Amino acid sequence: MTFYLLISPWLLGFVLLSAIPLVGAFVMSFTNYDGLNLDYLRFVGPDNYARALGDADAQYALGRTLLLMLVVVPVGLVLQLALALMVNQPIRFSNAFRTIFYLPYVIPVVAGVWIWKIFVDPSGGLVNAALGVVLPDFNVRWLVEYPTFVLALLTIWGAAGGGMVVFLAGLQGIPAEYREAAMIDGASRTQVTRFITLPLLTPVIFFNLVTGIIVALQILVQPMLLSPGILGLNPGTVPPRDNYFYVVHAYIEIFTKQLFGYGSALLWLLFAVVLGLTVLLFKTSRRWVFYGVEP
Amino acid sequence: MSLALARRRTSPAQTGVRYGPVVVAAIAFALPIFWLLVTSLKKQSEYGSALFPSVLQWANYELAVELADFGHFATNSLVLSTAYALLAVLVSALVGYGFARHSAPGRGKLFMLVIATWMVPNLVLFVPQFVLFARLGLTNTYWPWILWGLSGSPFAIFLFRQFFASFPRELDDAAEVDGAGPLRIFLQIYMPNAGPAIAASAIFMFLWVWGDWLYPALLLRQDNTTLAVRMANAYLDPHGNPLQTVTMAGVALYVLPLIAFFAFAQRFIVRGIVTTGIKG
Repeated sequence: MTFYLLISPWLLGFVLLSAIPLVGAFVMSFTNYDGLNLDYLRFVGPDNYARALGDADAQYALGRTLLLMLVVVPVGLVLQLALALMVNQPIRFSNAFRTIFYLPYVIPVVAGVWIWKIFVDPSGGLVNAALGVVLPDFNVRWLVEYPTFVLALLTIWGAAGGGMVVFLAGLQGIPAEYREAAMIDGASRTQVTRFITLPLLTPVIFFNLVTGIIVALQILVQPMLLSPGILGLNPGTVPPRDNYFYVVHAYIEIFTKQLFGYGSALLWLLFAVVLGLTVLLFKTSRRWVFYGVEP
Repeated sequence: MSLALARRRTSPAQTGVRYGPVVVAAIAFALPIFWLLVTSLKKQSEYGSALFPSVLQWANYELAVELADFGHFATNSLVLSTAYALLAVLVSALVGYGFARHSAPGRGKLFMLVIATWMVPNLVLFVPQFVLFARLGLTNTYWPWILWGLSGSPFAIFLFRQFFASFPRELDDAAEVDGAGPLRIFLQIYMPNAGPAIAASAIFMFLWVWGDWLYPALLLRQDNTTLAVRMANAYLDPHGNPLQTVTMAGVALYVLPLIAFFAFAQRFIVRGIVTTGIKG
């Protein structure tokens, strides 16, 4: 009884703010709900899902999203692990280095997007100014010509610190005796990393891999705010075609076109993809994730 | 430092291998932020023509505060972030304590539900919540954040459960013998010893609201919205031309408190994450 009293705030919140809305969202995905008027509400059966599966924009957007994920997640993981290994060495100023790598992670998305917009701006940006020294007449409009490239840099830069800290926690959970024993037996630094540290880190790699994939598939705010132009970043913006990702598509269907029913169906399909990928990863994890050592 | 490491002498080449990559990475990570600061201190006429400011234009910062009603929106952000963080941390700690220390039928399944809600894509949950808030007339108010806070955060509940599960049970037994109820045990024994978990989750909860753009953009009005939404719009001169330099000064003012705080609290945060065992 005590247990239920203690968890009652969450339970109540869960029922009112999660369970009921989720059921509502599921029901909504079988209707033509427009977000405003209940008078025209009617059930359309599986029509929304059928439409979503044939939606060329949704397919294109899903393709872009998977492509972004396939680039950002592996590159991000390797970078996070490399950063953690570097600052975990006995080096001077290691706290200062950690802070520098961690900072982009705590910088709010609006500020992060502004920072990169100005950094790659053809007129006032450092990137083109620096490249212009080597290549005269260099004038690439990054946000128009290579928006996904900028977005990938922005997300990798922004997420690196969070992943690094989790890797650091994992590294500090590895007893020093293991590495020392290997070194006394004559193992090189590289061998210690490859055969002692990495296998013991696989649970952390797995954690960062799963969260990285879930976050990458749901990317929405960064591409919307990164749309070219300097004036304003508002909820009605449509990003350039290259940065038209799946949740961006769902967002526009819902909040711009007022297709709450159809947009909900799109989002449930994404949930199915996320869930499927997660289950798949958990299945493969038995082969490569090493849970042998209890901290 | 360990014995095996200490016995090895470091040559200049080894020093280069050890410091080279980390210094290069640090420069690459810091350059965009450095450029934000440089741009924020230029004259607007220097934007796009001079690489560095001839005279540091601190007036940009004054302009950024005056032109955007900065104090008003910063207060909104501060109130909303603090209220949410306070509520969410307190409730999540209580719920985490319940999951860690009190058993009842269905506990395991309910905890799976906590984790499951964490995995549902944000927008899947937000769209029906948005409809609900609109129906209840709670859009354009801070109520959604209060309600979110009152129901706790799955992430923080998980964190506190892991943290409290490592406490020795003898503490509870002794307190129970003294006649303390579960709420008193929670407030007088668990909370005072939960410093790292409280700090880590409070920081993340605060930061989530302070940095969030989507929910205030969709739920609030132009006048009661947060600094994030205001800063998403560029500063303009009277002719409607963008003032990149003043905009960057505003953005710097928006993030500098966070940067100062994290530079100060960095070691603490790493420790919080290590001790709360995010690894599971």
